[in-house]
Amino acid sequence: MLLVLLPNLLVIGASFMTRDPSDFLSLPLTLDNYRRLMDPLYLQVFLHSLYMAAVTTVLCLLIGYPFAWALARVDKRWQTLLMFLLIVPFWTNSLVRTYAVKLLLASNGLINSALQSLGITEAPITMLYTEGAVIVGLVYLLLPFMILPLYAVFEDLRRELLLASHDLGAGRLATFFHVVLPLTLPGVIAGVLLVLLPAMGMFYVADVLGGAKNLLVGNVIKNQFLDARDWPFGAAASVLLTLAMAVLLLAHRLSRRRLGEEGET
Amino acid sequence: MKKVALAAMLAAALAGCSKQEEQVLNLYNWSEYMPQTVLDQFTEETGIKVVYTTYDSNEAMYARLKLLDESSQYDLAVPSTYYVNKMRNEGLLAPIDRSKLSGFDNIDSTLVNLDIDPGNQYSVPYLWGTTGIAVNGDAIDPATVTSWADLWKPEYQGRIMMMNDVREVFHVGLRVLGYSANSTNPEEIEAAYSKLAELMPGVRTFNSDAPRMPYLEGETDIGMIWNGEAVMGAEDLPALTYIYPQEGAIVWFDSFVIPKNAKNVEAAHKFIDFMLRPEIAAEISTDIGYATPNLPARELLDEEVKADRAVYPAAEDMVNAEVQEDVGEALLVYEKFWEMLKAGQ
Repeated sequence: MLLVLLPNLLVIGASFMTRDPSDFLSLPLTLDNYRRLMDPLYLQVFLHSLYMAAVTTVLCLLIGYPFAWALARVDKRWQTLLMFLLIVPFWTNSLVRTYAVKLLLASNGLINSALQSLGITEAPITMLYTEGAVIVGLVYLLLPFMILPLYAVFEDLRRELLLASHDLGAGRLATFFHVVLPLTLPGVIAGVLLVLLPAMGMFYVADVLGGAKNLLVGNVIKNQFLDARDWPFGAAASVLLTLAMAVLLLAHRLSRRRLGEEGET
Repeated sequence: MKKVALAAMLAAALAGCSKQEEQVLNLYNWSEYMPQTVLDQFTEETGIKVVYTTYDSNEAMYARLKLLDESSQYDLAVPSTYYVNKMRNEGLLAPIDRSKLSGFDNIDSTLVNLDIDPGNQYSVPYLWGTTGIAVNGDAIDPATVTSWADLWKPEYQGRIMMMNDVREVFHVGLRVLGYSANSTNPEEIEAAYSKLAELMPGVRTFNSDAPRMPYLEGETDIGMIWNGEAVMGAEDLPALTYIYPQEGAIVWFDSFVIPKNAKNVEAAHKFIDFMLRPEIAAEISTDIGYATPNLPARELLDEEVKADRAVYPAAEDMVNAEVQEDVGEALLVYEKFWEMLKAGQ
């Protein structure tokens, strides 16, 4: 408990202090850092970051949902193997994996070399250092965080319910929208939360794959801490990001309560 | 019985280890800034293992040392030019004991006893270099590129590489407009920002980690580079050419310093002394493509390296060149405009 709370309290505390060129933080206490965050520049960064994270989340969901469903359905031996493949990348540092994606996407990288030697394209396709490259990287890194909670809900989804739905005359689509989707919604929400917010903070993906151009909120925070040495401002930005997460969690809680009540009536 | 014997052997082996107490030197340095062969030779001669940790900006290095000051994680660091001054003033550095360095007099006298560290009480110059223009000769004729202003030409848009460093990028903007690259005048900085903003849509990537890589990857054809990176890059891409821009290159030099709480000060001195040996300094300069301030080492260099103007510039290359200095609190102005540039405003 203490280990969770203490760093956060330190960050919140720092966000109300004043920048100091040699000691990083100093008194007096101030709200200035939060006022500076209201600058349209940072609003724009935040919105752009949200957009990138949203695209990433939707893609993760589109890939992860069927995958998790299949994963819960295949027989035990395959399941173990697929699970293993899902977990293995975690053994490698995510920064190293980001560089691996870079090797694939570069103009003289693996994909372009393959396409050219197969005669499919003449000139290399520009992929690296684009928004698309950042999104590919984010989806690659965050997909497991979408799949795991979805897998958990699909595991609990009993086949009898689907059969019952069929017997009662529902078609495949109707079964999906009225039975499967509502029952797996908690997993979807958990997955979305686990992907959306981390995606906004993964500054190194934007640095390595986006050519350090497509600023995410995480880049702003990192720049303030390391380059501008403006810790209070960086802290304020990260508090705001945490608050955004809290708001989403709260919305999740509220919507679940509402759904629960609907279920009872 | 077998087990007992094994345990005894293990214990003996462990005791042997602790008795010798393997010495370690924690070196905090720029990435790819020292050849492994040199580090290996040092370990072979002294038995001191070198743990090489890297950073890609002075700011990152400074923040790390400042924070971890008490835990004394590093025995040696290599800050650039004005950071020596800053760290010295803030009491982050331990004085260097000149009596333990036999080769200090090898260093070019124009690079010692400067304002950043009078009398070199805290720093020993390692290498110096410049930031200029790189051109991939396969795509662009290097003879047509002579100045920073050429980057703005329409035909190069989308193929430009810039440093991921606020001061270096603003150096370009300020010099193109004829201002000092160390300007602290907010109006001049803003003007440089407006100029650079025109260039931004054409910038393919920012990179200060290994600035040669975007050229080798085939992603960029023209832009900024450190001279040593251009020399290293030319090994893989022979057409990669280094050009001294008319408006002036950026000049910097990096020095060894010992953090105040370094654990192994003795080893740090040994390492600096090792670096001052002419044959070692010559090997480093040849291998990584930056100029050594070590005069006897320069005599040992191959004619080819000595004559390479990318590494050892001629006098006319250095006209208008400017050394980076501390801009104090004006850094915040730079940072603000830097973020605006990056966010594409």
